[in-house]
Amino acid sequence: MTPPDEAHPNAFAQQARDALQDEVLTGALRRATDLFGERRRAAIATVPDWQELREHARKVKAHTLAQLDHYLERFAANATAAGATVHWARDGDEACAIVTRIAAERSASRLVKSKSMATEEIGLNEALAARAREPVETDLGEWIIQLAGETPSHIIVPAIHKTRQQIGRLFVDKLGIPPTDDPDALAAAARTRLRAHFAAADLGISGVNFGVAETGTILILENEGNARMTTTLPKTHVAVMGIEKVIPRFDDLEVFLRLLPRSGTGQHLTTYQSLLTGTDPGGEGPDELHIVLLDNGRAKIAVDRVMRETLACIRCGACLNACPVYQSVGGHAYGSVYPGPIGAILTPQLQGLEQAAALPFASTLCGACKDVCPVAIDIPSLLLELRRRAVDGTPGQRPVRLRRSERIAFGLWSWFARGPRRFRFAARLARIAQRVPLLSRLLPPLSAWTRTRELPTAEGRAFRDRRRGGNR
Amino acid sequence: MTSARDEILQRLRGGRSTGPCSAPPPLPTPRLRAHLSQPIAREQLVATFRGQLAQVGARAEVVARADLAARVAALLTDAEAHNIACSDAPLVRDALASLPASIETLPPDAARERLLACDTGISSAQWAVAETGTLVLASAHERHRLCSLLPDRYLALVPMSRLVGHLGDVFSRLHEPSASPTSRAITFVTGPSRTADIELQLVVGVHGPKDVAVLLVDDL
Ligand code: SF4
Repeated sequence: MTPPDEAHPNAFAQQARDALQDEVLTGALRRATDLFGERRRAAIATVPDWQELREHARKVKAHTLAQLDHYLERFAANATAAGATVHWARDGDEACAIVTRIAAERSASRLVKSKSMATEEIGLNEALAARAREPVETDLGEWIIQLAGETPSHIIVPAIHKTRQQIGRLFVDKLGIPPTDDPDALAAAARTRLRAHFAAADLGISGVNFGVAETGTILILENEGNARMTTTLPKTHVAVMGIEKVIPRFDDLEVFLRLLPRSGTGQHLTTYQSLLTGTDPGGEGPDELHIVLLDNGRAKIAVDRVMRETLACIRCGACLNACPVYQSVGGHAYGSVYPGPIGAILTPQLQGLEQAAALPFASTLCGACKDVCPVAIDIPSLLLELRRRAVDGTPGQRPVRLRRSERIAFGLWSWFARGPRRFRFAARLARIAQRVPLLSRLLPPLSAWTRTRELPTAEGRAFRDRRRGGNR
Repeated sequence: MTSARDEILQRLRGGRSTGPCSAPPPLPTPRLRAHLSQPIAREQLVATFRGQLAQVGARAEVVARADLAARVAALLTDAEAHNIACSDAPLVRDALASLPASIETLPPDAARERLLACDTGISSAQWAVAETGTLVLASAHERHRLCSLLPDRYLALVPMSRLVGHLGDVFSRLHEPSASPTSRAITFVTGPSRTADIELQLVVGVHGPKDVAVLLVDDL
């Protein structure tokens, strides 16, 4: 499916219906989410103190987010002392302007980029393209998406909605390679083509997985090696980092490195981690490192004591793979860069509840997301809080016209549960409904939803234990 | 006009006073280290390391210090290596002593185009981690960022004494004052470059090396 350009969070119901019509997408999503789910379970089974690690990570994040100003200042000071240039961006436009200016001042026109959700959030590629400096995406999946002019459908496997035949035809069209649908041959063609881009690139753009306050270090995880290329070969490296990515100490990385890859892809470690501290004069890396600290709505979340937890997310993708809604409809339906359970809480806060009020309702509240989250974010409670705010309004925010969202949620629900093609999803729902009395409480009018804050997660867990043979 | 920095910090302080921040409360101490740092027999470390590498599609073997140069020459000849990007580690220099003259070696500061064209890269590593099959490359000790990344084939020579049990053992060492000068670029490498971006099918070598081998050099 080619996602409609005008995909919008509040059009979730229609987009979900479209997604369900797409057999390639739904089949691929099922394989991907099942595979990552199984691998995750196998990987965490090898870690005896998994729950302790989660708890530690949760505490570290809570502590840091409560004093983010302090840690950001330390991070910026230490990164600067190590030779990096730190920029601050209030919003996406400011961040795009900073990156564009860095490129323009260096007359850099050949840009390469490694995968980064923060840069997608701010539309950096479009901003740079408007100045004839569009970066080449170098993660294989992102590059395929860029060549096709589409948007990612899965955060770990962005082109999961495309078959190898479609990718083969795309490469024949755009690269002029001989026809093939062999993944090895396609990857080899990508390697050759992207090598040429790397060799010529004068500026590399990356995201950041963690920023260490104590040392000013940024950490980037990946499997392909394109992030290493991007952050090593060009003379200038620009890293765009959400302000919530900061953690206090170098040693904390150890905990997060044990949690993140296992949760995301079920790997003990991703193939590569790059820990970059400032510049390395006389070394092999870039001459300049620019770190753009991006707020874009995050500070507002950080000072909201109830919702602050949202920012603890380390973008592992586990909650997406575990979510029965996401498993069925995939990323495009959410109409937002951040899909799935995390997207359903993050997007309305970043874009404004008015803009994405449908998303907190696009959930069965089964609690699977919370159980798999490596930093133990209580996503169901946050979804309920956002629903409450949408209904009641908050100071400075009128109630969202909820009849619509309500209709969306219920409409979607009954639609899912009916058609034969939605058998698997419906079966899941039925099982949920049997095991979790909560569901029956969700169906009556909205007022009841707001009173279900004592969401029985214990029951949710019991349900999944039976379904999946134990979930940790 | 307030700077973006001040404004963001202001937003983060919310209602709080703008004065200097109090010291953060002590962080919970990671309990990993006590849990993990039981001494492990060397044979077991080697077996775990090899097992982990096998899982990710790489391999390791143990070689005596005296046999290193001959083994490296044999490996490179078998692989039909023509041009080799080398790090500046003394161990690498020693290991290349018996190389046939037909094989060209390039130093880390060779021209980029020539490094990009190399079929093989050779370096040492500062640590190897058994638990995950990981090589730890620290830039303060060796110039190996490019030779470990650009060629199709990567061979790492790691002194046996640098093989540790767990990731935590490396973090504590990276952090010791004696670890200075601090490395500006630390790279963890676990097996070959990989992707599953096309129909979830594993493909190795999409950007980085597709073939990764480790020689554990018995220096004990
Ligand atoms: S919310 Fe938790 S599970 Fe979901 S992506 Fe973030 S860290 Fe992973």
